[in-house]
Amino acid sequence: MRVERPSLLRRLIEPPNLETLAPIPKVATYAALIAWSLVVLMPLYWVVITSFKLPVEVDTGPYYLPFIDFRPSLDAWHYIFVDLGNDTLRPYANSVVVALASTTLAVLIGSLAAYALVRIRFKVKFASIVAFIALVIGVIVAVVELQVPWQLAVVIAIALFILSLGTIARRFRAGLGNNDIEFWIISNRIMPPVVAVLPIYIMFQQLHLLDTHIALISTYTAVNLPIVVWLTRDFFAGVPIDLEESAEMDGASKFRVFFTIALPLVRSGLVATFMLVLILAWNEYLLALFLSNANAQTMPLLVSAQNGTRGPQWWYMSVLIVIMVAPVVVVAMFLQKHIARGLLVGAVKG
Amino acid sequence: MRISLSDVRKSFGSVEVVKGLNLDVEDGEFLVLLGASGSGKTTALRMIAGLETVSDGRIAIGGRDVTDVLPKYRDVAMVFQSYALYPHKTVFDNIAYPLAVRKRPKAEIEAAVKDVARQVQLDALLDRYPRQLSGGQRQRVALARAIIRRPAAFLMDEPLSNLDAKLRGHMRAELKHMQHKLGITTIYVTHDQIEAMTLAHRVAVLERGVLQQLDTPANIYNRPANLFVAGFIGSPPMNFLDGELVDGRFSAVAGSFGTTSRATRTQAVAGIRPEDCRVAAPSDGQIAGDVYATELIGDHTLVTCRCGGEMVTVKADKEFDRSVGEAIGVALAPRAIHLFDRQSGDRIV
Repeated sequence: MRVERPSLLRRLIEPPNLETLAPIPKVATYAALIAWSLVVLMPLYWVVITSFKLPVEVDTGPYYLPFIDFRPSLDAWHYIFVDLGNDTLRPYANSVVVALASTTLAVLIGSLAAYALVRIRFKVKFASIVAFIALVIGVIVAVVELQVPWQLAVVIAIALFILSLGTIARRFRAGLGNNDIEFWIISNRIMPPVVAVLPIYIMFQQLHLLDTHIALISTYTAVNLPIVVWLTRDFFAGVPIDLEESAEMDGASKFRVFFTIALPLVRSGLVATFMLVLILAWNEYLLALFLSNANAQTMPLLVSAQNGTRGPQWWYMSVLIVIMVAPVVVVAMFLQKHIARGLLVGAVKG
Repeated sequence: MRISLSDVRKSFGSVEVVKGLNLDVEDGEFLVLLGASGSGKTTALRMIAGLETVSDGRIAIGGRDVTDVLPKYRDVAMVFQSYALYPHKTVFDNIAYPLAVRKRPKAEIEAAVKDVARQVQLDALLDRYPRQLSGGQRQRVALARAIIRRPAAFLMDEPLSNLDAKLRGHMRAELKHMQHKLGITTIYVTHDQIEAMTLAHRVAVLERGVLQQLDTPANIYNRPANLFVAGFIGSPPMNFLDGELVDGRFSAVAGSFGTTSRATRTQAVAGIRPEDCRVAAPSDGQIAGDVYATELIGDHTLVTCRCGGEMVTVKADKEFDRSVGEAIGVALAPRAIHLFDRQSGDRIV
């Protein structure tokens, strides 16, 4: 039996039942909740009503109440969906494809990595890391300076690396453990993405993949992997090892244990992680700005494009924001149960 | 199937927890690995299961060397202390899992699960989830999951320790019956000597990674191989007296007495179980002392006597009524006296 952790997290996430509170605290609690709801909902409300305003109403406002303060108009909606038409739908489809694909990949690969980090003890020798880095530099020098065909250089480098694993690397004791690997993974996220934007841009330029889905999907997957690994490793650590050993004794392979025992048991946690990463990918701006142009343009770019040569066109922007926020709200509402439970995995037993 | 361990060793870092274990388990035998925590019994079992690698030595199941074989290819089933039921699967799916993994046809799986469920009286609960079951029912599911594929052997790691005392006695009998009926070789790990004595064909007593004695429960009790086994088995434990053995006559501070042995040792230990001692008049018994404490257990009284600085427990009548401090004699049955070498701890024959 696992010992329950201190209930601080639980108290924060699972507040006392409002029904059982005394009258005065009850009223105070509701008042505070309503006040906070207003703070949270106000921007959303403002965006929604702005999308139904005409430019003149935005400029002369503020007007707060539709039908009373101003007459709602579908002009902005008409412009976005009919006049722009495909120029709105393409970025929208791009966003859906890129966000879903990169999130699915990141959660799949990241959860496998997290599982391995929890259940397998790795010992990576320093020497093999040094050998790997040296060979990568060697390949670059050989290809760029010495004009060696890159296929040849890569094959030689891989051969040398495998050779060095068995010979040189074995002589050195010092190595990295699971904790070091985990820290290395999260350190990729500690670094601000803007630092890596130019190298990534040049890399895709060389590969002639700029302004494609592949560029965005692979970059988003890589950027979000650390978050997935870091979140899901805790979920997997909460699965009793007995269950997995038992499945192994029952005849299951490692992959089968992962897919039929470990994965279903952390389902809630994975759903929560999926949502978080999906929202990050959905809203991503900086990398999309560099890597996409017209064809692969995503929604955040389209929104900011409304602040163009003619000044900020709040009414068009608002329409785009509404259609961007809507699916996230709908999905979050459906998965709310999973998300709350996912965050509690580990804090509350089974 | 036969299971044999030859000189099996296991080290975690610099600590050796199993030190050269040799064990031959006969086909159909119920063998209990008995020991305190840290004796290496669970590690030994996990090595047989394949969940732990072997540092040195060989393990064979049914004549096949499985030392470097993955658990899933060893054809043994294991029952865990925690039962290890899959919480997201129904009782039916839990029991069916070993067959489902082997991709048996659906109809065959269903028939097999129903058959096994009937044997362990779970037929009515197949649609439930583990969290909806009582401790005893969970135990049965774990058992059913082990039985269903007719493995070469059962491995059980303290399977009854999570049950309350009454249920434990009941499940013990069920387990013994089941093993007898199926005739499948079973290795059972426990720290509970009652479980060991009642379940086992043979008991292997382990201490600090070393096999102390491997014998039938009766022999373990009646002819303990060394001081450790003598002290470990039996409740209340055996009494020990330090003294000198000259031509079979044992002399301690509390008194001297003849034994059935003819041996001579300058440093010896005489062991005698509380039920083989009798209270007597101070002048009558082989050893003398005074009453230190009395405990009425129900059908008998445990009398602790202080004899020459050592404590001797005697199992006396429930009518025993002498008070603390009174002089008392303890009579010993010569045939029931166990003699051990003080230095090596081995039994003197």
